Amino acid sequence: MATISLEGVTKSFKGKTAVQDVDLEVADGQFMIIVGPSGCGKTTTLRMLAGFEKPTQGQVRIGGKVMNDVPPKDRDVAMVFQNYALLPHLTVEKNLSFGMRIRREPRKAIEREVRAVAEMLGIASLLGRKPAELSGGERQRVALGRALLRKPQAFLLDEPLSNLDAALRAQMRFELKRIHAQFPVTTVYVTHDQVEAMTMADQIALMNEGRLQQVAPPERLYSEPSNAFVAGFIGSPKINLVPATVLRDGEQPVISLLSCRVPVNGDLGSVLQRMDGDAVTIGLRPEEIQPCPAGSNGRPAFQGLVELIEPLGSETHVSVRVGEEILICRFPPRSGLETGATINVQFDPQQMKVFDTASGLRLG
Amino acid sequence: MTSTSLPGQLPDATDSPVDTRPGRPAARRVRGEPGGHKIIVSVIMAVLGMAFLLPLVWLILAALNPHATSGLSSPAFSLDNFRAAFQAGAGRAIANSLYLAGVSTVVATVVSTLAGYVLSRHYVPLKGLLLVGVIFLTGLPVTLLLIPIYQIFVKINWLNSPFYTSLVLGATSVPFAIWLLKNFIDQVPRDFEEAAAVEGSGQFQILLRVVVPLIMPGILVSAILTFINSWGAFLIPLVLDSSPGDTPGAVGIYEFITANGQVQFGPLAAYGILFSVPVIIMYIISSRWLSGSFSFAGGVKG
Repeated sequence: MATISLEGVTKSFKGKTAVQDVDLEVADGQFMIIVGPSGCGKTTTLRMLAGFEKPTQGQVRIGGKVMNDVPPKDRDVAMVFQNYALLPHLTVEKNLSFGMRIRREPRKAIEREVRAVAEMLGIASLLGRKPAELSGGERQRVALGRALLRKPQAFLLDEPLSNLDAALRAQMRFELKRIHAQFPVTTVYVTHDQVEAMTMADQIALMNEGRLQQVAPPERLYSEPSNAFVAGFIGSPKINLVPATVLRDGEQPVISLLSCRVPVNGDLGSVLQRMDGDAVTIGLRPEEIQPCPAGSNGRPAFQGLVELIEPLGSETHVSVRVGEEILICRFPPRSGLETGATINVQFDPQQMKVFDTASGLRLG
Repeated sequence: MTSTSLPGQLPDATDSPVDTRPGRPAARRVRGEPGGHKIIVSVIMAVLGMAFLLPLVWLILAALNPHATSGLSSPAFSLDNFRAAFQAGAGRAIANSLYLAGVSTVVATVVSTLAGYVLSRHYVPLKGLLLVGVIFLTGLPVTLLLIPIYQIFVKINWLNSPFYTSLVLGATSVPFAIWLLKNFIDQVPRDFEEAAAVEGSGQFQILLRVVVPLIMPGILVSAILTFINSWGAFLIPLVLDSSPGDTPGAVGIYEFITANGQVQFGPLAAYGILFSVPVIIMYIISSRWLSGSFSFAGGVKG
């Protein structure tokens, strides 16, 4: 087991920068998930940890040792590939024991450990089969078993669940967490799926366009996004990002949002004090917008048209058109709404997230 | 575990462009094809077939007939010609050919696998030009190289050695084998090699335990082609190894034509049959191996 750290790591391919100046610390035993849209550099980052790519700049450390020039075979990490990469000419048993045989471990130990891991993963009955005779989930388990038998300092997983169907994916998420609880080995897991990231990670590192956007535990990433991209990436349905303007009412900074004027105080107020006339973007999570009777309590409220109703059973997503903007709201089930109806919605100004439109950074 | 249907595995029946509805132009044309065409095609095929078959029939009949001539003879069943062929050294010659072909096959296959791997996977300066050069070499007649090679052999005293002769035989197959094997290795997903690398394999272990097993059909094709090429080689062993005991089959067969100033058709045919047996066996083995066994099924993708 070991800590992993990236210090100022940049990777360029023929002048195209895939990863730019990434600093990332993974604590010993931590389950770190790197998430981001495709092409954001997350897989390149993982491949630099595995040793398949060499950083153009910066340092990769595993267990405190600089690994930049250490070949993959000497890094003592195990990797699970998106395509599993099981050797098709070998049986499940030989695939599982591949690394142990390469490392010339005693045959007795190989047999014992392969059996133990196969039983833990529920693939003991498949040991004699070839990968082609396995289902996707079974292959996934074999790939996982092979990584476990490596007994590495760190696990690297590259979108391991992306080739599975939804039900199996949910099951494997649970099992991966269980395995990690049983063997708390430092893990770096790459995915584009925010659900995987939110449900499994100790820490999430969110990347976009080669840059690290934010590193935080799942709940904090959701509640305290550091910029508009993070806010928009995490959460389903997506956060509503609405353009607004900072105005002043005497000395009091006010955000002009759609048909509302929201006075702002405190720290955010003093920041906005200096931004009179600037454009800001307001983030409102779908669950932060509630239906309300017309003209009620002092909270900011809008009147809008119900454009679309998406009942999900446990909740209903409602798209409300307010002026030019469409707000997606998460309402309780059976809300009794009809498409085309007029509706009043309100939100708590304490919960709204304010981003500087120019830089995307969170102001408060 | 339940079996699952996976994303990316769509049924391919839906995109079949073949229109099988009756009455469509395509279907009508096949049904309405005039029978005359078929007959003409069959006749042409039969004539071509005879052209290939007749010499074979002659070979078998002549081999079994002690009084064989250049014409087709009536069937006889005598093994005298085979006896004569063996007395003339057919056994020794075939053994020599096996040695030459065997050694050159091993050498060429090992060299080409290594070269193909490097050309497929590693950065090589001017790789494109190098590969074009390799293709060019496949088209170069060996005869052109033989005189300089002979002179080199004289200089370094390699003449009259079956081993060194087989090196040259192998070398003549290397360009094509490199090209073939590089293309096979190109098809091997890198994930396999990377998976083996994180498991602790070094470069040679990856090559031996991952790449070679996966491209085995390609290696066999290359080995069989090299073997057959060396098996039938005439000029190279004739020039480079003239010691009488080293004569391979393809050179030895010549002796029946020139000895005593006349052609001994019977023993010649018997010798020919004996000489083709190993190649026929190779073809039978290879056809079994080559029927679609090149596949990475199950290794990658869902």
